[in-house]
Amino acid sequence: MATATTLRAAFKPSPYLIGSAVLFVLAFVYAIYLEVTLGHVAFNTTNYGVFWGFPIVAYDYFLLTSTGLALVASLPLAVGIRSWDPVAKRCVWLAIAALVGGVAILFLELPHPLRALWATPINLQTASPLFWKILCVGAYTIVLALLAYAFGAGRGPAEVPRILAVVLGLLALAITLIAGSVYGMLVFRPFWFGSELPVVFLIESFMGGIAFFIFFTYAVHGFVADNLSENTRRLLAGPLGIAAATAVFLHLLFVLTRTVTGLWSYGEGMEVWRYTIAQPLYWLALIGGGLVPLVVFALPSLRAQPWLQMIGAFLVALGLLASRYEFMINGQLVPPFKGSWAPPLLEYAPSQLEWVLLFVGIFLANTIYAALESWSSTRER
Amino acid sequence: MTKWGMVIDLEKCTGCQACTTACAMENSRLPGESWQDVLFYHEGTYPNVKLSWLPRPCMQCENPSCVAVCPTKATYKTEDGVVLVDWDKCIGCKYCMIACPYGVRFYMDEKPVVQPDLREVFPGDGDRIWNPPYKMPDHLEDRKKGIGIQPKGVVSKCTFCYHKISKAPKGVADLDEDDPQTREYVPACVRVCPPKARYFGDLDNPNSRVNQLIADKRGVRLKEETGNKPQVYYLAGGGAPVIPGERSRGRG
Repeated sequence: MATATTLRAAFKPSPYLIGSAVLFVLAFVYAIYLEVTLGHVAFNTTNYGVFWGFPIVAYDYFLLTSTGLALVASLPLAVGIRSWDPVAKRCVWLAIAALVGGVAILFLELPHPLRALWATPINLQTASPLFWKILCVGAYTIVLALLAYAFGAGRGPAEVPRILAVVLGLLALAITLIAGSVYGMLVFRPFWFGSELPVVFLIESFMGGIAFFIFFTYAVHGFVADNLSENTRRLLAGPLGIAAATAVFLHLLFVLTRTVTGLWSYGEGMEVWRYTIAQPLYWLALIGGGLVPLVVFALPSLRAQPWLQMIGAFLVALGLLASRYEFMINGQLVPPFKGSWAPPLLEYAPSQLEWVLLFVGIFLANTIYAALESWSSTRER
Repeated sequence: MTKWGMVIDLEKCTGCQACTTACAMENSRLPGESWQDVLFYHEGTYPNVKLSWLPRPCMQCENPSCVAVCPTKATYKTEDGVVLVDWDKCIGCKYCMIACPYGVRFYMDEKPVVQPDLREVFPGDGDRIWNPPYKMPDHLEDRKKGIGIQPKGVVSKCTFCYHKISKAPKGVADLDEDDPQTREYVPACVRVCPPKARYFGDLDNPNSRVNQLIADKRGVRLKEETGNKPQVYYLAGGGAPVIPGERSRGRG
C-alpha cells in the first residue's frame, strides 16, 4: 500500500503525456459527436463497392505496426540477442500503444464491436481468416499485458520468461500473416489476390516496427542523439539501421513488381493499376516513403546521422500509411457487378469523421505510450 | 433434401424491373438498394450500340464465399440451400460484402442513393432502420433469418423470399405462380415476372422444371471460376456471354 502511494506520488505526467491526452479527448469527443449526430452516413463508404474505408486502413496500419514492434521485441526476448536488449522494453510499450490505438479506431467504426467480442469466439467459424485474426489479437493483447506486467515489476529483458516472448513472437507472426490472407485469398479481386500478400504484410509490418522504434527512441530523448546510450546509438546506426534498409528494399521490390505485373495484366479489375500510378500519392509513397529512407538507411555515412535517421523513420511510417491506403482503397474501386450505370472506377476520399478517427488512434496511442514510459521510468526510479 | 434454385431466361426477360419493384415491396427495401436488381450494360458507341441487361438476385451459392468469411457465422446456409443472415449475430464488419463476387449484399446505413432520404421521412422504431408504409406483417419478420425491415448496423441480402418458400409443401418439385397449390410460396420476383422469365424449383429433384430447363437450354452460372457454384442459372440461348466484360465494353 505504501509502495503504491509512493509510486503515485512519484509519478509525474510529462508534457508529452498531457498534450497527447488532451488532443485524444478532443478528437474522441468530436468523433462521437459526428457519429451521434450524423450516424453512419458520416463515413464515405457505399454499397457500390468501397465497403472498407479509411478507418479500416488506419486500424490495419496500427495493428500491423504493433505486430512489427512485437516481432522486433521478440528477438532479444525470445532468441536472446542480448545486444538488442535496449530495444525490447520500448518496442513492447509501443506495441501496446499501437494496438490500443488501432482497436479503438475499429471499435469506433464497427456498428457492433461488443457483439464481435462474444459472437466470434463462441461460433467457431474456422474457415474465416477474420475469426483467427480476432482470436489471435485477443491472445496477443493478453501476452502483451503480461509482458508489461513483467517489465513493470522491474524485470529486465534477460529476466522475462522466454516462453512469453516466444508466444508473443508467434502471435505477432500469425496476426500479420492472417491479415495478409484476409485480402490475398479473394480470388475474384485480382488487385488483392495473391499468395505473396501475407509475406508482403510481414515485411511491411517489420519495416513499420523498426521505423516506429527508431523515431520514438529519438523522440523520448528530446530528439538529441547525445542523450542516447552508447549501446542504443550503436544499435541504431548498425544492425537496426541495416534491418530497416533491408525491409524498405524488400517493400519497394514488392511494390514495383506488383505494379509492373498489374499494368501488364489483362484481367478485369486490374485496370485500377493505371489509375493507381496516375495518383501523386503512389509516387510520394514510393519515393518519399521508400527510396529516400532506403538511401538514408543503406548508406553507412547517412545512417550514422541521427537527424537523417529520424526523418527516414518518419518518412517510412508516413509512406507505409499511404501505401496501405492505396492497397486497400484501390482494391475496391472497380465496382463488382454493377452494370453500365456505375462508373468504371468508383471515387472515394476519406470523410471528416474518417480523418478524425485516424487522429483518435494517433493521439490515443501516443497517450498510452507516454503513460507507459512515465510509469516505467517512475518504477525504475 | 430440397435444394432451391432459380432459372432466369434472358431471352424472355424484358428488363422491365417488375422483379425489382416486387422485391422492394416484399422485403421493405430502400429505393436503389433492392436485393433484386436488373443491371444494364451497353457496348459500342452511337449509332452502333447494343444494350443488354441482367436480372441479378443473390446467387444463393452452393459453396458461398460470404458464409466462409463471416467471423461470427451470422451468414449461414440452410438445409434447403438458401444463404441467410442472422441479424442478431452480424457485427457489421462487411467482410461478406468484400467477399461476394456478385455484389448482392447491402449495408443500409450508408448515404442515401436517392433523395429525399426515406429513412428520415419514415423513421424506424426500435433498431429498425426505417418504417416503410409498405412493410410485411410483423409476424413474418425473423431477425435470425434476415427477414423483415433491416436493423441498423447489419448486412442484408436476398433470402429467396424465405418466409414464403420455407412454408411450401414438402417434396414439391417446382413453385409455380400458375399453380394454385404453390402460388403463395413463390418468391415475389418470380411471381410478378410479366414474360415469365423466371422459374423456381428444387435443383435436387430430377423432374423439376428448373432442372429440365437447365439441361434443355444449356443453363449457365455466373463467374464459375470462383468456385462459388451459384444456384441461380441463366438461359442465354447458348451463344453469347451472359454479361459483357469491361474490356469488351472499352472501359477497361
